[in-house]
Amino acid sequence: MSILEAVNVTREYRMKAETVRALNGVTVRIAPGEFVSIIGTSGSGKSTLLNLFGGLDRPTSGEIRFDGRSLSTASSREMSRYRLESVGMIFQSFNLIPTMTARENVALALAFAGAGRQVRLEQAAELLTRVGLQNRLDHLPTELSGGEQQRVSIARAIANHPRVLLADEPTGNLDSRRAAEILEILAGMREADGRTIILVTHDQQLATRHADRIVRLRDGLVED
Amino acid sequence: MNHIDIIALALRNLRQSRLRTILTMLGVVIGVGAIVTMVSFGLGLQRNLLRDAFARIDLFTSITIIGPGADALLAQSDGREEDGGTPEQPPARVLDAAALAELRAIPGVRYVQPQITYQGIVRYAGRTRRIAVGGAPDNIDFNPRFNDLLAGRYLQSPSSAEILITERFLANMQRRPGSPRSGGGPFRPAPLKSDEERRREAETAIGQTLTLLTLSGGPGGPAESTESVFGIPLPGNSNTINTAGYEERVFQVVGVLRTGEGIDFMPGGNALAWLPFAEVERLRQVQGDPLRQLGEMIAGESGYQNLELRVADLSQVEAVREELRRRGFNFFSISNQLEEVRRVFLIVNASLALIGGLALLVASFGISNTMIMSIRERTREIGIMKAIGGSDGEIMRIFFFEAGLIGLAGGVLGLIAGWGVDRLANLLANRWIARQAGQGLRQIDFFSIPWYLAAGAILFALLVSLIAAIYPARHAAKVDPVIALR
Ligand SMILES: Nc1ncnc2c1ncn2[C@@H]1O[C@H](COP(=O)(O)OP(=O)(O)O)[C@@H](O)[C@H]1O
Ligand SMILES: [Mg+2]
Repeated sequence: MSILEAVNVTREYRMKAETVRALNGVTVRIAPGEFVSIIGTSGSGKSTLLNLFGGLDRPTSGEIRFDGRSLSTASSREMSRYRLESVGMIFQSFNLIPTMTARENVALALAFAGAGRQVRLEQAAELLTRVGLQNRLDHLPTELSGGEQQRVSIARAIANHPRVLLADEPTGNLDSRRAAEILEILAGMREADGRTIILVTHDQQLATRHADRIVRLRDGLVED
Repeated sequence: MNHIDIIALALRNLRQSRLRTILTMLGVVIGVGAIVTMVSFGLGLQRNLLRDAFARIDLFTSITIIGPGADALLAQSDGREEDGGTPEQPPARVLDAAALAELRAIPGVRYVQPQITYQGIVRYAGRTRRIAVGGAPDNIDFNPRFNDLLAGRYLQSPSSAEILITERFLANMQRRPGSPRSGGGPFRPAPLKSDEERRREAETAIGQTLTLLTLSGGPGGPAESTESVFGIPLPGNSNTINTAGYEERVFQVVGVLRTGEGIDFMPGGNALAWLPFAEVERLRQVQGDPLRQLGEMIAGESGYQNLELRVADLSQVEAVREELRRRGFNFFSISNQLEEVRRVFLIVNASLALIGGLALLVASFGISNTMIMSIRERTREIGIMKAIGGSDGEIMRIFFFEAGLIGLAGGVLGLIAGWGVDRLANLLANRWIARQAGQGLRQIDFFSIPWYLAAGAILFALLVSLIAAIYPARHAAKVDPVIALR
C-alpha cells in the first residue's frame, strides 16, 4: 500500500485571459520508506505536485491520498493538522522566519503542536544537534550560511515526527559540497527513522544518488 | 498553540515594529483620553451639583404639600363648576385640621408638620430688623437641617420661650438694613472664618435674648394667649409685655443653626429664626397677611400654606406620592426634579462620550491600517506558519491579540492621560478661581472618574481594537501559503 498517492491529478491556474494547466492528469504512488526523486525542467509542475502532497494546495481534479485516506474532503482545519503532523516540508529558499533564532524557528513548529515552552526549547536543541547545529542554536538565519539554514529547516520539518519529508529543490541555492551534505542528512533521515522522502530537483546527478526511484515530469505529465 | 504562546508571538510582532506600534497606540491613547476627560467632566459636573442632594436621604423622603392660594379660594367660592379647576388640574385641597388628620393616616407617612414662615420684627443686641421667622417642627427626625447646630441645642418643648437662630441671622443683624446681602440668595460664610471661629461666634449668642414685636389684638391676641394647664400658666406665655399698640415677646436663644453654603433645599429654609411651632401658630393669627385674612373671611378658612410631610422609608415615597395625587393634594417633592436633572446629565454625558468616541473611531482606523500593513509585510511569515502546521484560527488569533494588546495598552495609557489632563485642568481652574474670588474657598474637583468610567473606557478601547482587527485578521487567515512562499 502507498503512503502517499496522486491519482489522476490536475491543477489549473486560472488567470485573467488564459488558464495554465500546471498538472495535467498525474498519477504517482509512493511506498512507505521510499526515497523518490522527482525531476523535470523548470515549469514542468514539480513544485505544484509537491505542494499538493504537502497539503498546501488542493487539486483542480483528481485526488491526493495519504495513508489511503483522501485529502479532498478534509476541512481547512484538518489540512493544517495534516501539514503539522503528517508531512514535513523543506524549500529551496529555506523559509525560516528571519526574526527568530534557529532554535525559535524549530520551536515554533513544536508550539503549533501544543508543546510547552520548556519542552519545545529542549527538543529544538536536540533536533538542531541532530543536524549538526548544536553550536548555532541562538543564531538568526542571517547569521547562518545557506547550508546551515537548510539544516535548520530540516530540523523544523522533522520536529513533529512526520512520516513523509517533502523537499522542493533543497539544494538549489547551495554549492555542490553543501548540497551533498544536505542530501546525506535527508538520506540519513530515511535510514534512521524509516521516513519517506520525496525530493524535487532538476539535477540529474543528485536525483539519482540516494533515490530508489525517479519520477520524470514534463509539461504537467509523468514521463515513462 | 495556547493563548500564552499566541500572546508571546503577538508581543514579539509588536516589538518588531515598535515605532508603528507606538504611533498606533497613540491614536488609541488620544481617543480614550478624550473620552475619559470629556465624560469625567460631565460626571464631575453631575456629582458636584447632585452629590449633596443625593447623599441626603432626608431630601427625598420629604414632600411639601401646598395649600390653595387666596385667589384659588376666592375662585372656588364663586362657583366650582366654572373656575374651580379642570379635570387635569383640580383645585388644591385646603390644608386644615381635617386634611392634616387624613394625611397622617396615610400608610408610610411618618409625620406631617405645617410649615409657617412669616415676616416679623425682632430686636436683638440693640438692633431692630425685619426678618423671616419660621415655626420649628416638633419632630426633627430625618431633618438634618435642625440637627446641624453650631452651638447650643434644639428647642426643648413645643411651646417654650426658646428660639433657634441661624448663622445667617447673626450675619444679617450686623449689616445695615436693606443692604444687598441682607436678604435671601445663596449664603456664603465669611471666607476667612475657620470652623472654630464660626463656632466661637455662635457660642456668644447662646443665652442672649431676642424680642419679637407683634401687633396687639386680633384673634390669638393677648387676651387668649395666656394658656395654662390646670390653672398653672405655661412658661411660654409669661414672656409677653404689652406696650402701646404692640406687644413684645422675649425669647432666649438656645441654639445657633449652621447655615450651609449655597442654596438651602428645604422649603421655608430662608427663615432666619425658628420659634417653637405652637408660638408661631399663635402668631400666625395675629400677623397673617391682611389680604389673606380678608380672603379667608370671604371664602372660608384656607388652612395652612404648606405642610411638610415626611415619609418613613425611601421605598414608600412613590406610594405616598400616588396616594396624595389620588386624594387631590397639591404637592412638591424633589425626587421627580432630580430624575429630570439626571436624565439631562445622561444626555450631556452621552454627547461628551460621543465626541471622545469619535476620536477612538479614528484610532480604530489606525489600528486597521497598521494591521493591514503588518500583514502585507508578514505575508511570507504567515505562509511559513501555515506550511509548518499553523491553522487559520491560530493565525487569526495572533492578529486579534496584537490589536487587543494595542487597544488594552492604549486604553490604560489613555485612562492615565485622561486622568492627567483632568488633574492639570483642575489645578489651573482652581488657581484661576482663587485669583478671581480670593483665597479660602474650598477646592472644587471638577472631574470625576468613577470605576465604571475607568473600566468602561479600557473595555471600549479593547472592543474597538478587536473590531478593527476583524477584517485584517480574516485577511491574514486567508493568505494562500503557496503564493506567500513563492
Ligand atoms: N500561482 C500560480 N499562478 C499561475 N501559474 C502558476 C502558479 N504556480 C505555478 N504556475 C505555473 O504552473 C506551471 C508549473 O509550475 P511549477 O510547479 O512551479 O513548476 P516547477 O516547480 O517544475 O518549476 C508553470 O508554468 C507556472 O508558471
Ligand atoms: Mg519549482
